[in-house]
Amino acid sequence: MVALMRWVGGAAVLCVIPFLLQPYELDLYRKLLFWVALAISYNFLFGISGQMALSHFAFAGIGAYAVVILMTQAGLPLGLAVVVALALAAALALIVALAATRLEGFYLALATLAFAQLLIVVLNEGGSLTGATGGLTNYRLPPIFGFVIGGPGTAIIMIAVLLATLAILLRIDRSWFGRACRAIRDNSEAAAAMGIDVARTKTIAFTTTSVMAAAAGMVYAFFDNTVNPPVFGIDNAIMLLFMVIVGGSGSHLGAIIGAVLLKLSQDFLEPIVGHYHALGFGVIVVVAILIQPKGLIGMWDQIRARRVAARKRAAS
Amino acid sequence: MTGEQPLIEVRGLTKRFGGLTAVDGLDFEIRPGEVLGLIGPNGAGKSTTFNVISGTYQASAGSMRLDGEEILGLPPHRIAARGIMRTFQHNMPFEGMSVAENVMVGAQTTVRSTLGRILLGTAAARAEEQAIRARADELIDFVGLSEERDAEVTSLSFGQGRLLETARALAGEPRIILFDEPAAGLTPSECDRLGVIIRGIAERGIAVLLIEHDMRFLLPLADRVIVLNFGQKIADGTPDTIRTDPAVVDAYLGEAGGVGADA
Repeated sequence: MVALMRWVGGAAVLCVIPFLLQPYELDLYRKLLFWVALAISYNFLFGISGQMALSHFAFAGIGAYAVVILMTQAGLPLGLAVVVALALAAALALIVALAATRLEGFYLALATLAFAQLLIVVLNEGGSLTGATGGLTNYRLPPIFGFVIGGPGTAIIMIAVLLATLAILLRIDRSWFGRACRAIRDNSEAAAAMGIDVARTKTIAFTTTSVMAAAAGMVYAFFDNTVNPPVFGIDNAIMLLFMVIVGGSGSHLGAIIGAVLLKLSQDFLEPIVGHYHALGFGVIVVVAILIQPKGLIGMWDQIRARRVAARKRAAS
Repeated sequence: MTGEQPLIEVRGLTKRFGGLTAVDGLDFEIRPGEVLGLIGPNGAGKSTTFNVISGTYQASAGSMRLDGEEILGLPPHRIAARGIMRTFQHNMPFEGMSVAENVMVGAQTTVRSTLGRILLGTAAARAEEQAIRARADELIDFVGLSEERDAEVTSLSFGQGRLLETARALAGEPRIILFDEPAAGLTPSECDRLGVIIRGIAERGIAVLLIEHDMRFLLPLADRVIVLNFGQKIADGTPDTIRTDPAVVDAYLGEAGGVGADA
């Protein structure tokens, strides 16, 4: 009950914020929510399941493009377009997973990178279907149950997707499935010896988190009512990886903190130093890995452990 | 223990690596609650036998029946699901998890809750999770790691790591537990403690297959011993008969200077 109230309270605060913001700030806020949602699901894929996949942003792109194409070019109503787009993302994720989960580490990264690059090529060369390099514009979110959804409305839908992602992943993380994922990450041979079907577990984790990325991508498509290829390219895929590593790979809270920190620093640094902000990220990531491979959350745990130890010493 | 039906029956187990026959037509069976030792000098085929049984290697020929059902050639996770759990000679803990979580992973084959039920948070799913936790706690106490319950596994000593391997394998409620050279790397007092634990496991009715190089550890512990040399069974009997078997003495004399010599 207390837990439920905490979720409702958190959701209420997040949902009130958009109504207090100026248009530019609202845009930052919505994109921040999008990044946080992606970081949460990517943390489950990379940090908890140990799959070094670089296709997460590509699946956000698949969700975004699919829902828009299905609505504007196939003429599907919004609800159906969402369902079909999610099914499409799930089918593609399953295909990639069946091939990719047989690979590990570096090779998985390469295979999923190739998939992500292939998507960009398809988007760029897709002619009128994908709008080529210019992407798709001139569409808008139809009224939902008679309500016209404005800027704050899309933020609230993003919050719903974010919280659903977090709630689902928290729940399965605290079950045998989460333990199986972590066990495979730590030692797949020992995991198999404990009765874990490694390929199946990896496939489920990959497909589930990729569909979550697609769902976030769908909402993103209606932020500015435009989608274009560069957003879903490799730069952002790497940025997502950085967020999870800096925040503390494997920790849900770490992923959220990492996403907020890196996204905000990008938003504030980019107007000042332009593309040199990427250099700053490089330095942050290297320092974070050198000082504490478990990221900011790892540092916090360390500080807390030291405090507890000091208190114990003081008591005895 | 004799007279009971064998739990597992191995017949003609053979494993060839190219031209080398590492295990050659091995026959044996294990009964519930029995400690069966499998010994032999280095290169005798002990580890290969272990890896074939646990599903890590594919056998070249032979059969392995559990309750009369053929299970040879199943992948490791299916072997585990049949109630055959193992430990690793070089401890293989899940390093990102606590001691308790490691043991809980061992209970993987016992879970019944589907992901759907977990998402819905059904009472049965929650009760199962609590039961797994309680069982892990009980096993941690059983192997004597109570103090380390919430510790990171990287903080454990090698000997404690071996105890963790044991508790983790037991969490799967095995019918057979396979130990791969469990005494290797342990101090004499740790060996004694592990010996007591292994007897305790057998007393629970679980069959134990103990692959071991160190005869001083194995002989007092085993109900029955099989001796391998060059991939073939050269002796099969009680520890007392093995101790004096000329073929066994020969095999070990050739290597380390007599039965019971240091490993």
